[in-house]
Amino acid sequence: MADEPAAAAGDSHDYPTIDPTSFDVVLCGTGLPESVLAAACAAAGKTVLHVDPSPFYGSLYSSIPLPSLQSFLSPNPSPSSSIAAGAAPSYSQTVVDLHRRGVYSEVETSGTVPEPARRFTVDLVGPRVLYCADEAVDLLLRSGGSHHVEFKSVDGGSLLYWEGGLYPVPDSKGAIFRDTTLKLLEKNALYKFFNLVKAHIDATSAPANEMVEGDAAAMISKEHLDRPFVEFLTQQGLSPKMRAVVLYAIAMADYDQDGPDPSDKLITTREGIQTIALYSASIGRFANAEGAFIYPMYGHGELPQAFCRCAAVKGALYVLRMPVAALLLDEEKKHFVGARLASGQDILCKQLIIDPSYKIPTLDAPFDDSGSKFPRKVARGICIFSKSVKQGSSNVLVVFPPKSLEEEQVAAVRLLQLSSNLAVCPPGTFMAYLSTPCTDASAGKQSIRKAIDALFSPQDSDGLEGHLETTSESTDHVKPTLIWSCVYVQEITQETSGPLQSCPMPDENLDYRNILESTKKLFAGIYPDEEFLPKKSAPVYADDDSDSAE
Amino acid sequence: MAATAGGNKIRNAKLVLLGDVGAGKSSLVLRFVKGQFVEFQESTIGAAFFSQTLAVNDETVKFEIWDTAGQERYHSLAPMYYRGAAAAIVVYDITNAASFTRAKKWVQELQAQGNPNTIMALAGNKADLLEARQVPAEEAKAYAQENGLFFMETSAKTAINVNDVFYEIAKKLLQGQQVQNPQGGMVLNQRPPERTVSSSSCCA
Repeated sequence: MADEPAAAAGDSHDYPTIDPTSFDVVLCGTGLPESVLAAACAAAGKTVLHVDPSPFYGSLYSSIPLPSLQSFLSPNPSPSSSIAAGAAPSYSQTVVDLHRRGVYSEVETSGTVPEPARRFTVDLVGPRVLYCADEAVDLLLRSGGSHHVEFKSVDGGSLLYWEGGLYPVPDSKGAIFRDTTLKLLEKNALYKFFNLVKAHIDATSAPANEMVEGDAAAMISKEHLDRPFVEFLTQQGLSPKMRAVVLYAIAMADYDQDGPDPSDKLITTREGIQTIALYSASIGRFANAEGAFIYPMYGHGELPQAFCRCAAVKGALYVLRMPVAALLLDEEKKHFVGARLASGQDILCKQLIIDPSYKIPTLDAPFDDSGSKFPRKVARGICIFSKSVKQGSSNVLVVFPPKSLEEEQVAAVRLLQLSSNLAVCPPGTFMAYLSTPCTDASAGKQSIRKAIDALFSPQDSDGLEGHLETTSESTDHVKPTLIWSCVYVQEITQETSGPLQSCPMPDENLDYRNILESTKKLFAGIYPDEEFLPKKSAPVYADDDSDSAE
Repeated sequence: MAATAGGNKIRNAKLVLLGDVGAGKSSLVLRFVKGQFVEFQESTIGAAFFSQTLAVNDETVKFEIWDTAGQERYHSLAPMYYRGAAAAIVVYDITNAASFTRAKKWVQELQAQGNPNTIMALAGNKADLLEARQVPAEEAKAYAQENGLFFMETSAKTAINVNDVFYEIAKKLLQGQQVQNPQGGMVLNQRPPERTVSSSSCCA
């Protein structure tokens, strides 16, 4: 699939000629946001052309065969397009060359790629899951895309790395009750806290006219809601370990909430409770999903494909292996009015949306390389090994709170282990994705490496097998041996201004909530009067007598 | 994936259509599913799937038929399209030699992308237009034999052999056991909004 990461020299290609040559919307890149937008625009009755320079779907959101990973993360610099200069514009337009940016850096791999390497499918957005009750799931259901993707539950639940050991995350009353690693005092405090939060969620979700007396009393005061969540948890008498469970493994806070430099990285009680409410609504939403999280079989790259198919069913035109070489500006050089494809063909459009791996040419200074002022970064890791990090679990989430690996660790590290039952690796093997947000690339990578070292023993150290400090009931658990790993850094650039729409990059989060929020805003920005993927926008079956749900 | 309904086994099978634009893929499906034929069928038909059940002896095959939704036009079908396909019909137009050449490419693509158990049919469509024939039946038949496909000439317009292709596929599906994706996951479906708060929920 990903044999050619970027467009090779333009001339050797036998590009097709696109017909028609004018569209309401042209999208370049088939990442999740562009694909969702294509589906939404097509559902709104717009004519859509969706192109991608690669021979596969997904752009920065794709899942690629392991042998293609290296070339994807470290692409050869693409030759600057000569096509743009070549032909004279057919109208009174200005042509602005389009350039791609480097998104990945500091790629480091170790170990030997296991065979058959092609049977390992690598997510570029990992670790990532969907909450059963989140926006991504709703969009899949509303667009009809849900029919194209199968999911499996992250059945092993979540584990917290604490003082050198792995502990189950007690995310329900039942789990608290069953947990044998908690002290009685911890259990009571956590139990009380969950009750309080549940009462608050129930009270806030009840319609105002149905508010029973006492509901108001059950609500956490506004004053508390705006204060840091960690303060609230401390007030509730939660121990440091229980605070870590709630903050990093349930509320998914990124940065150290107890640190000396609180700044803007503290999550508020309101934010914390919002995530807990989502978590709680996710459990039990689907009959076959045991936990809050689900993962798409064959990898996250299926999701853009599903939305693209929805768009295609609604009439969107798809062309892979078609780079955009340049953009067309109108006479006043104020608006983009089209795109020049690598084939040299000019396509006119009212709206132009591009993949975040393209630099948006600012109109005053066509391309300014230095413009990236302290971009957000995320350090990511990918591991292959042959034994589960938790006996008896196939898919499991592990959270390493800040400072749990070393004093210098400023942000939580999340690890998602996936097994062959997701069809992303051959039977008998496991994959794990890790990530941590960072501003300094080497610090981020350091955290990822520490987390890998904490869970796995290096391949060469047979004989001297590392032992993970064990949780009470399990007997000695020998660390799985690492077969192959890759650590790299991804930039998260956000372009907000300008007359050209650029989609969000994969972010540091575990889910797609923020990405889809931005995508929704983009749609509202270009089509303020259209509903974003209205329900029933895509009848799954054409025939009426069939059952669409099974 | 075999469900029991009134003592009758129902086998669900994903079937994909492949072939050039204009070969008559959608027409073939519409003829099979709805018994209709439209002379100038629009390229896109606005539906992701068709479903149709077919009884073979005492067993039933429920086809879920995927159309290309136009993504084949610039050779941009997603891997998802081929995934888990129990059967495929590669369609060409007997009055268009180029469409037969392209059909062979689709067979190659299917062999590369699909699973080895996928049952493949080659359908030479527009068999009613005999006077305009460009692809000899013998040539297509020989090609099909060499490549392990079964071959029929069909006409969506006159309905010749259309049901037969699907019936033949259903028979072959039932002969070979298994086929279905052995480790299927769950398909999300909309459940009634009322939801009793699960006792296992985080805050329950």
